[in-house]
Amino acid sequence: MTLTPTAFELSFQPNVELISIVRRFVSDFYDRMIEDRDTVSRMALATHELLENAVKYASDGATFLSITFEPGETTSTVSIRLVNRADAEHIAAVAAIFEEMSRHDDPFSHYQVAMARSAKRKVGSGLGLVRVRAEGEMTMSHTIEDDRVTILAQTTVRARRSS
Amino acid sequence: MSALGDLSVSLRDFAANADAEGQSLVLTLSGNADMAAKDSLDALLPRLHGEALRLGAAEVRVDFQKLEFMNSSCFKSFVSWISEVVDLDPSKQYKIRLASNPEMHWQRRSLHALRCFAVDLITIEP
Repeated sequence: MTLTPTAFELSFQPNVELISIVRRFVSDFYDRMIEDRDTVSRMALATHELLENAVKYASDGATFLSITFEPGETTSTVSIRLVNRADAEHIAAVAAIFEEMSRHDDPFSHYQVAMARSAKRKVGSGLGLVRVRAEGEMTMSHTIEDDRVTILAQTTVRARRSS
Repeated sequence: MSALGDLSVSLRDFAANADAEGQSLVLTLSGNADMAAKDSLDALLPRLHGEALRLGAAEVRVDFQKLEFMNSSCFKSFVSWISEVVDLDPSKQYKIRLASNPEMHWQRRSLHALRCFAVDLITIEP
């Protein structure tokens, strides 16, 4: 695993095709630096879901994506940050999802609750952010400033020194 | 194996195809199941379910081995399908077998989550 901090940032208007392209790029990029492919897979999944969230909810289409990998002595931290503007309805929806997540300490059991609810939904899945937390094994947080929504997903992985 | 002609999807980056195999149906997926594939999967899985009931299938096997990725919208399509099977009278339920590829790391958690949703009906291989 690399000991060098790595990061990239994208500011763009993602569309359906670009999301999968970015996911593959993230996967290829970090595959070369992080030996743990499971971690890379989780990063890719989280990036994809967060970008789709932005495509659905960004009021002006513009999205800022930042991914950082910060190696430490014993653990390394991966951070994925998505920033976009959204209308009041979607901001309330994001806030409601985070409020519900805060009431469920166990991400996987919350995921099962969300899946049961999703099965009967006609529109949308309501699973994207919950999936990032459960399958991506990421801690999630968000901030709202006016109409600007920032979602931060982070995970910690055990650092391993390269020989 | 007999082909079930109307149970197939062929998109630029995603494909699905169903076949009958004895008392079972086999759905093979490949490519990238993202937003572009969602409408197709939403239409395909209820048809697969209807065909399984019509044939009295004992099992439906879903082969994920060549599926590079599945987003939450497509995942939800599977959740809805599985929910339909769970809601059936037990005498009409069929088993679901999910064939995974250990090289596709996302599958381990996603398929495990699906299995936990209907643990009595779903098995995962390998």
